Amino acid sequence: MTAPAAGGVLLQVVLSGLSAGAVLGLVALGFTLVAGTVRVLHLAHGDVVIAAVFAGVLGVLGQTPVSAALGPRQSALFVLLVLLSGAVLAALIAVLAIRPHLADAGRHRRADALGWVAGGVASGLLLREVLGLLLPQQGYAVPDPLRLASLASDGLVHLPGGSALPVRAVGVLVIGLVVGLLAERLLVRSRFGRSLRAVADDPDAAALCGVAAGRVVVLAFIAAGLLAGLAGLLDAPGRAVSVDDGVVLGLSGIAAALLGGLGSLRGALVGGLAVGLVQAAAVYAGGASLQDVAPLALLVVLVAVRPEGLRHGRGQR
Amino acid sequence: MTTVAVAQALWLLVAALGLALSVSYAGLPILGQGAFIAVGAYGTALLGPGGAGWPLGLACASAVLLAGLVGFVVAIGASRIEGAFLALATWALAWLVQRAVLAYPAVTGGAEGLTRRSPAHLVSPTLGLDVVLSPAVHVLLAALLCAAVIAALIRLDRGPGGLDLAALREGPALAASLGVPVAARRRTALTVTAALGALSGAGTVVLLGLVAPSDVSPLVSLQLLVAVLIGGTARWWGPVLGVAVLTALPPLAAALASSGGLDPARSRGVLTAALLVIVLALRGPVGRRFARLGPDVGVAAAIEPSGIDDPARPALLRAEHLFASYGAVVALDDASIVLRGGEVHALVGPNGSGKSTLLKALAGELSTGAVEIAGQPHTARSVQDRVQVGVVRTPQQTVVMRGLTVHRQVAVGARGGRPSRQGVLRHLLATPEAGRTHRRSAEIVDEALHDTGLAHVARTDPQRLTNGDQRLLQVARAVATGATVLLLDEPAAGMTEGERTRLAAVLRRLAGNGAAVLLVEHDMRLVGAVADRVTVLEAGRVLFSGTPDEMRAEPSVRRAFLGAGPLVPEV
Repeated sequence: MTAPAAGGVLLQVVLSGLSAGAVLGLVALGFTLVAGTVRVLHLAHGDVVIAAVFAGVLGVLGQTPVSAALGPRQSALFVLLVLLSGAVLAALIAVLAIRPHLADAGRHRRADALGWVAGGVASGLLLREVLGLLLPQQGYAVPDPLRLASLASDGLVHLPGGSALPVRAVGVLVIGLVVGLLAERLLVRSRFGRSLRAVADDPDAAALCGVAAGRVVVLAFIAAGLLAGLAGLLDAPGRAVSVDDGVVLGLSGIAAALLGGLGSLRGALVGGLAVGLVQAAAVYAGGASLQDVAPLALLVVLVAVRPEGLRHGRGQR
Repeated sequence: MTTVAVAQALWLLVAALGLALSVSYAGLPILGQGAFIAVGAYGTALLGPGGAGWPLGLACASAVLLAGLVGFVVAIGASRIEGAFLALATWALAWLVQRAVLAYPAVTGGAEGLTRRSPAHLVSPTLGLDVVLSPAVHVLLAALLCAAVIAALIRLDRGPGGLDLAALREGPALAASLGVPVAARRRTALTVTAALGALSGAGTVVLLGLVAPSDVSPLVSLQLLVAVLIGGTARWWGPVLGVAVLTALPPLAAALASSGGLDPARSRGVLTAALLVIVLALRGPVGRRFARLGPDVGVAAAIEPSGIDDPARPALLRAEHLFASYGAVVALDDASIVLRGGEVHALVGPNGSGKSTLLKALAGELSTGAVEIAGQPHTARSVQDRVQVGVVRTPQQTVVMRGLTVHRQVAVGARGGRPSRQGVLRHLLATPEAGRTHRRSAEIVDEALHDTGLAHVARTDPQRLTNGDQRLLQVARAVATGATVLLLDEPAAGMTEGERTRLAAVLRRLAGNGAAVLLVEHDMRLVGAVADRVTVLEAGRVLFSGTPDEMRAEPSVRRAFLGAGPLVPEV
């Protein structure tokens, strides 16, 4: 096999970066949704993604999963289980770990940032460690219910210039973008989306119009949990997944959300693609060891150096 | 317990005490103490003997300095935004450091970590020194360090520094409006936290001769957070109890693991998460039961108000041609106002006419145009500078600093208005000047409480105050800054008729002491009773300015208020 030309390699790097970025965009979408409406940083979001996937694995394949191709019924069950687990886990986190620390005028309670920050981090840790007790191996192969790899006979897309890309990556890119845009439209247009934004703009006025802020907190987390399940379905198959992968995935998604302007749904999708590209470029230039280091460094720099750019311009309230 | 284990626990306590300064004293959510420990540990191992070969002391000092610098830089960015972002920044830092250590095994030894000669020797050829740093020496060193840090924390809590941190924790926005340098205090707290974390890491690596990623992982960061949260708010013994609990954690996890056939590392994680959940759940109820409102600043002898009476009524603040807008909405459109000492000046107008915006502009929260204070032009947008020259705004909403007694809350204002150079350090060292400042501050607080009629509730739990007293407390905090220009945003909001009468008397007394009082108010009866001068705003413009009598006769003002009934009833 001859070495691919530079242009071909570049195309490969860009496409694989965008593919990973589409998944990060979905993760960021959930995070930014919660941040923009409830004004809470959902620090367990990435752990929900991975936990939802493993809940599906445990439900369909059991505690010793063999990477076998799933039949159509099993595939449908797997998809349903992952989405449902994402929603249920997120709802539990919202009710048990987040909502008790938010301001509640009815109970004369002030918002306690240290409380919900620690609550979110504790839920993420609990998810990781409990899954780790059930699934002790370093990494697991997760089945692909969509069987994206079978789109091409050899599982590869041959790019001009002689390089190749797993066909799965292309499928993930397309599906990720379509689903992301659909979800964004749905959140903007639907009644649910409107009530979310009403609470974000003015919780007191929304309460007067009959939108209960406490319920909206849970609904926002459930929507984020569904998005987490979708992200997990696209992200997990095709590589060895560890129960500990969630934190860095979540933090990379947060970097994407900040890059896109926190609270902006479309910005989150674009931010995801950007972080995916940065990650792919860093890995291409500096080796696979930068896979986690690059997005984490980007996040630290984003929070520490450009904090004023993080807030979406909404004027003063 | 072996000597090594005791020394290790004491070094961990150094990191926990450092974290407590930021978390339980200043109320900052720091999730990355493990990262700072890592900088200290790996820095010392890489720079010192066995690494780059620097002398041990120099390597430790450099690593601690570096960690302090990292903490400072993180705080610079994060202190400009909400507290939760500081949690995000430090959490990301904790994972970045751990993943970076694993990503460069050639430098850091990867998952295996680095080993160094143990016990280490502290060698200085110039001093002819060669000390073997045995575990016993470590116990001594770390215990001395812990004692010093605890003593500093206790002393800090009783003085101006503790007051600043308490204000930061209970109401950062309010503290800023009273002139407390909030951002600078956050930076200092995080820098000290990071430096003590690094010192702990350096001490541990010298003690054990080994550092591995698992010693500095994000899990360690969370365990330290648990340790600090156990003690609740601002208690020096919290971290001590917390570290004792942490020391019991690994054997407990191992016992659980062996009895259930589980992975010990995972069991430790589950236990940490469970502890964190329990500590959070108990934080509210236990914190309320053992509420500790902090020591009072001290009690001064009763003082009569100074009572400056200047018939000339000097213009203390003059603002001309102010403009401001929020997006497309114009809030101030060429507004001008003059505030004179000894006068109560009422600012009235319909909702959205720009009253609060004008107050914010005068208080330095917005840059809208030149404001002349006591004859000096001030254009910069800095709340703190305005407080120093005697201009303070009280917020429209009641801010309850529920963790501080009324006396201590007013002391926040007294301190914010009169920053002393290196006041915190002077107090820690107990210099005579610090004692004088302390007594003076107590006098100022008593005077402000007297002037606002709150002397009888000085020792009351702030959560038991009536709404009227809460609103007066807002005024008292502002008065204690020594402000000559008081900008009061609807101080009468929610007050009963009787409380309004009390407020009117307080405002007259403050004006009688020589202050210029600007009052935003909707209740025209109160305005008529208390104001010497009224300015009417409409759509950001000054519609009228004059005495209440003149206002009653002014037709344009009637029209602005829809002309219903007599605007200001005769008093």
